[in-house]
Amino acid sequence: MSVEAELLWAEKYRPKTLDEMVNQEEIVSRLKQFVKTKNMPHCLFAGPPGTGKTTAAHCLARDLYGPEYHRWFLELNASDARGIEVIRTTVKEFARSIVPGPVPFKIIVLDEADNMTADAQQALRRLMEMYTSTCRFILIANYPSKIIEPIQSRTAFFRFTPLKPEDIIARLKWIAEQENVKYDEEAIKTIYEVSEGDLRRAINILQAASALGGRVTVEAVYKVIGRAHPKEIREMIRLALSGKFMEARNKLREVMINYGLSGLDVVKQIHREIFSSDMKLPEDLRVLIADYAGEVQFRLVEGADDEIQLSAFLARLALLGKKFRV
Amino acid sequence: MPEVPWIIKYRPKRVAEVVDQDEAKNEFIAWLNKWLVGKPDKKAALLHGPPGCGKTSLVEAAAREYKLELIEMNASDFRRKEDINRIAKVAATKASLFSRGKIILLDEVDGISATADKGALDAILDLINVTRHPIVLTANDPWDPKLKTLRENCKLIGFKRLPKKTVISVLRMICQREGLICEYAALDYIAERAEGDLRSAINDLQAVAATTKKITLDAVKAVVYSRYREYNPFEMLRKLFTSKYIWQAKSILSSSNLDYDMMMQWIAENLPNQYSDPEELWRAYEALARADQYMGRIIKTQSWDLLAYAMDMAAAVAVAQKKPTYKFVKYNFPQKIMLLAKTKEVREVRDALAKIIASHLHISSATAKSEVIPYLKVIFESNPKYAARIALGLNLTESMIKYLAGNRFKEVLNYLKKYRGTGGSTHRRSK
Repeated sequence: MSVEAELLWAEKYRPKTLDEMVNQEEIVSRLKQFVKTKNMPHCLFAGPPGTGKTTAAHCLARDLYGPEYHRWFLELNASDARGIEVIRTTVKEFARSIVPGPVPFKIIVLDEADNMTADAQQALRRLMEMYTSTCRFILIANYPSKIIEPIQSRTAFFRFTPLKPEDIIARLKWIAEQENVKYDEEAIKTIYEVSEGDLRRAINILQAASALGGRVTVEAVYKVIGRAHPKEIREMIRLALSGKFMEARNKLREVMINYGLSGLDVVKQIHREIFSSDMKLPEDLRVLIADYAGEVQFRLVEGADDEIQLSAFLARLALLGKKFRV
Repeated sequence: MPEVPWIIKYRPKRVAEVVDQDEAKNEFIAWLNKWLVGKPDKKAALLHGPPGCGKTSLVEAAAREYKLELIEMNASDFRRKEDINRIAKVAATKASLFSRGKIILLDEVDGISATADKGALDAILDLINVTRHPIVLTANDPWDPKLKTLRENCKLIGFKRLPKKTVISVLRMICQREGLICEYAALDYIAERAEGDLRSAINDLQAVAATTKKITLDAVKAVVYSRYREYNPFEMLRKLFTSKYIWQAKSILSSSNLDYDMMMQWIAENLPNQYSDPEELWRAYEALARADQYMGRIIKTQSWDLLAYAMDMAAAVAVAQKKPTYKFVKYNFPQKIMLLAKTKEVREVRDALAKIIASHLHISSATAKSEVIPYLKVIFESNPKYAARIALGLNLTESMIKYLAGNRFKEVLNYLKKYRGTGGSTHRRSK
């Protein structure tokens, strides 16, 4: 019996062409227009995670160049490519080589562009102007407001909206059917709810839940969520609030070093946790913590050491815990 | 398990036990006796001399020996008007309930700022005027101009710097009582760098003893460096947290041999050791977090002229306490650095895995770590057969599988071998 190698479903069922994209209809039709005229401006794709921004860029490229589109397509992630220097050299090399193709330009995708500093974005702007005759840039961002004005004004803006519940549910059901996975109607709804409109997360949960073996039930979904989202963050908050700072800091190190979570991930998870109904906290305390979480998130962007900023957060929690006697 | 600071454990119980300083002892006892039998010429005494030469110890020993109640105030308390009034009332009126009389001790009056706490010096003068009990002030430098009026109202009693041999003999006595084996050279080294400051010498000895029961020269050198050289991390922290003023704290940071990043790590690691009160701890962390923000800006923009502000805020951790208290703290090497070293291999595997996932899903490595790897772990830990197929598809290495599957690692590997043996087709990416 030959065994089929498996991929993550988020990759396996990623639309390959614009026609396969089942949502963002308005955006898709504008992009199809580019394919038809074989020309396009620089673009800015903005919207929440898992709404199809990167997928749309790939589909567009495939429709323009065919299945071998990678020859004319460069994908960089601003979070991974350290500094504008790396981006500059990579882009330069890519833009310089001439590969005759179906359209007279290449596409450079810069993902998570809103993670670039303002200075790096200025340098990027010059880069966009320098290579405008041979390359088109597609910038991808969660928060378009973090993209500097001169870049915004040089790009065609595409706002990706959160996917509609029925779209996500339909997609999950379709994937389950392709995979011959049995599911409860309620389970799919639960996946939608916990994925917060992020299709990639929803598909990951579905795949993990089905891997538990047997039918995908509400129970299976919660089992996956429980195991994938470690309890450490919640424990850390509890320890800090009860004044056990040292233990809380050990938990912090555990999640950051052992799980590899970034400081930003930790703050966001703390933020999520303090509003969860499992945490019994006075409402005004929730608000105070949330306010400070926002401050810490801002500082993380500016600071040098995530652990110091988050330890300060834990120290704050310990103080608030004492005041509120939780 | 906080250990009693040895400077408290071994403080003299009787006047005779106060080492050296015979002249000062005689003068002080004579002045105190005048108080006890009638009226002294000066109602307050100002004991002055270098740090750690026995000023406070003498007052404490005398109070104990003469069965006087000791009421102590610290420099920073002088700022609080109500405290001064409370003490003043006690000093002026009531007889002591539990003993014959009282001594009121105002420690470190030269720590009072002439500008910020102008009222405090006047309050002390008022106190001297109304008091019915002996008042003792201590100072390192009595010739400070701001203390002029105070000086005129006090009997001045000078203390000498303690000679090295005296310091050594006290250290040796403590070693005997603590059951420590000690080299003479080690004690000599501690005494040499203490420069007559017995308190700092005893603190140094306790810091060394916290690491080993054999006080050798090497052990001492590992913990305490000479004052003339740069401070080592442990010493830097001890000096930093006993600083009373920001300028002191800053000069200590600037004479450390650590680079700025490591310095921040050492301070961060030890803040909770130093401060157990939640408010103090938070204030200290808040200051350090600000320093870290400045460091971040410096790194990103290379504006090194911001360094002064970063150091100001880092130094501010020293003044986070509400009341200056002395306690012996055992400082730690930054555990984060050790943890990073210990987990290096695992983190490398995880980072490589994140890269593979990132390129498959067109996301950043950070997103792969927080959004995908957790679900992948669920799959690998609960369904080895299916996990092996994914391992095949993503072309994962053995160490990656081990990272994901934990103790079901062997099962996944067995399936993988079977699949590879049957020549299972692998997905090739279109690239």
